[in-house]
Amino acid sequence: MSPEEREPSADELLAMAYADGELGAAARRDFEARLANEPALVREVAEHLRLDVLARSAAGPEPADFEWKRLSQDTLQRGGLGLGWTLLLVGALALLAWTGWTVAVSDLDLAAKLALAAVGLGVVLVGGFTLRARLATLHLDPYRDIER
Amino acid sequence: MIVVTTDLIPGREIVETLGLVRGNTVRSRHALRVVAAVFKQFFGGEVHEYTKLLAETREQALDRMLAEARAQGADAVVGVRFASSEISTAAAEFMAYGTAVKLAPKR
Repeated sequence: MSPEEREPSADELLAMAYADGELGAAARRDFEARLANEPALVREVAEHLRLDVLARSAAGPEPADFEWKRLSQDTLQRGGLGLGWTLLLVGALALLAWTGWTVAVSDLDLAAKLALAAVGLGVVLVGGFTLRARLATLHLDPYRDIER
Repeated sequence: MIVVTTDLIPGREIVETLGLVRGNTVRSRHALRVVAAVFKQFFGGEVHEYTKLLAETREQALDRMLAEARAQGADAVVGVRFASSEISTAAAEFMAYGTAVKLAPKR
């Protein structure tokens, strides 16, 4: 029996009802208490919301979509864009490293160097942990597959 | 849940007005998509990165409005409107709002 053919479990039915806003106030509170401790249930609800949103915003492809798709598979287009992005990112990182090195060996006061290092490290930490939070919740975002 | 931009629903009667319901959100694309969008703006045509951004934002604002209406026990939201504004150049804000009502079949 394939996963599509089996009967939904009680939790799956609850998740569907919750996503559709069909639970009463008490049942909703109980289910939300479970959501706080059960990541599998959170994923189940997110999947139902994603399907609902996709069904609601489904639109047929337009002529230009086919050409965009063909171009995105074209070797020259992919190679050129890939090389361009790589050069941009590598160049930006190299510039950042060069700036850091220039500051480190400059005649600036030690206090100013420490302050700049703190700012740089702060940016890296805030950016890194913001990215971590985004990646952790990305699969729960039902809106990221909407195209138009 | 019926969601309409009109003030009335044919065949139904509004028996109770529950009040204003609204939902809003601010979303952005990641920085590399914004860079790609800047290049597309340079040459013209549809900027898919921003089309997608606005569509995501619109749907999330709508869902938040509907969640508020459901929490109030509404059967429908009438007079729905969308409003948008610019929070920053790379982010889109959408607000969906309307009036939550209870319905009954028209006598």
